[in-house]
Amino acid sequence: MPSKETNVQENSKESSSEMEIDSCTLKAMISSPSEKIHLRPMTLSDIDDFMVWATDVNVTRFCTWEPYTSREAGIAFINNFVLPHPWLRAICLDDDYAIGSISVTPVDSIRGEIGYVIGSKYWGKGIATEAVRLVAAEIFKEMPEMERLEALVDVDNVGSQKVLEKVGFVREGVMRKFMCLKGNVRDMVMFSFLPSDSLL
Amino acid sequence: MEMDANETQSKVVVSSSPPGGISLRPMTLSDVDDYMVWATDAEVARFCSWEPCTSREEAIKYITDSVLTHPWLRAICLEDDRPIGYILIMPVDNIRKEIGYVLARKYWGKGFATEAVRLVTAEIFKEMPEVERLEALVDVDNVGSQKVLEKVGFTREGVMRKFIIMKGSVRDMVMFSFLPSDPFK
Repeated sequence: MPSKETNVQENSKESSSEMEIDSCTLKAMISSPSEKIHLRPMTLSDIDDFMVWATDVNVTRFCTWEPYTSREAGIAFINNFVLPHPWLRAICLDDDYAIGSISVTPVDSIRGEIGYVIGSKYWGKGIATEAVRLVAAEIFKEMPEMERLEALVDVDNVGSQKVLEKVGFVREGVMRKFMCLKGNVRDMVMFSFLPSDSLL
Repeated sequence: MEMDANETQSKVVVSSSPPGGISLRPMTLSDVDDYMVWATDAEVARFCSWEPCTSREEAIKYITDSVLTHPWLRAICLEDDRPIGYILIMPVDNIRKEIGYVLARKYWGKGFATEAVRLVTAEIFKEMPEVERLEALVDVDNVGSQKVLEKVGFTREGVMRKFIIMKGSVRDMVMFSFLPSDPFK
């Protein structure tokens, strides 16, 4: 497993004690249950941290993609998908290393879909919940035309359903045989959060 | 009403069960006057994405551009073979299709839409074996249409809030689905 010490690329990130809070950096002002997190844009210098979660079959189980097997493929993913993405952030602990990512992808002119992935070492600490809460609190200001933030979760992905419920997303129902995931047609639970909804 | 020879091949023959037989067939330009009966009606158009039609020329254009070119659309006809509405299937993706239907107001409340939906749902999985899910999205306020789907045996999966822009308003929509394995009511 790659260690963080190998991540020695030069980057322009400030040390965590001098983190600027700008429109791209959302810092948790309240502590989440075990760990304080912040969100920032993801860059190529996050490649080694990306590979930690992206190669983990436990993490990719409910993702549409298979685990990554080469650093080159990871770099290509960051270049081709992450950097051009309209809204994608690395989820970071105090040391500013990425432990996962969260994104909001437009579905159409009024709907955005939230998605998130966290390294399995960090599961069960409220980190995804805090990241989703931060995004739900801010995204409608950044995307004022958005009327609905939605999430589609595999029926078997109970952990992720709990994340959304804890934030205050509304569980609208199970959409049967809704999506093809790795060759299987899956039932998916639809959640939504509106600008007028209250965060829990 | 004349029909070309090749149109009879796609005729879905049909039900003689109550409330009275309806049949489904492709629409043609010669249906324009019957089409205008429902297409000009604001009550009918209320929950549709289109505005009421205002002229025969507009109707002819719409039938030519959108109806005749549609991948799967059938006129709903009574015994005299004149259309009282239509029903259609739209692709969503490889495994999902969406059903839609419209009926002239004079024929509401008689079970015709229910019968048409039942016929199409029964046929569509045979015609399109790759389809895993037939769905319908109905405005929360369109109770009549929700009842049609429930009577056929569609599952009401939930209300999708602020889901679609319809004529400039963002609407809550009820999602229904029917799977090849589902029973008809």
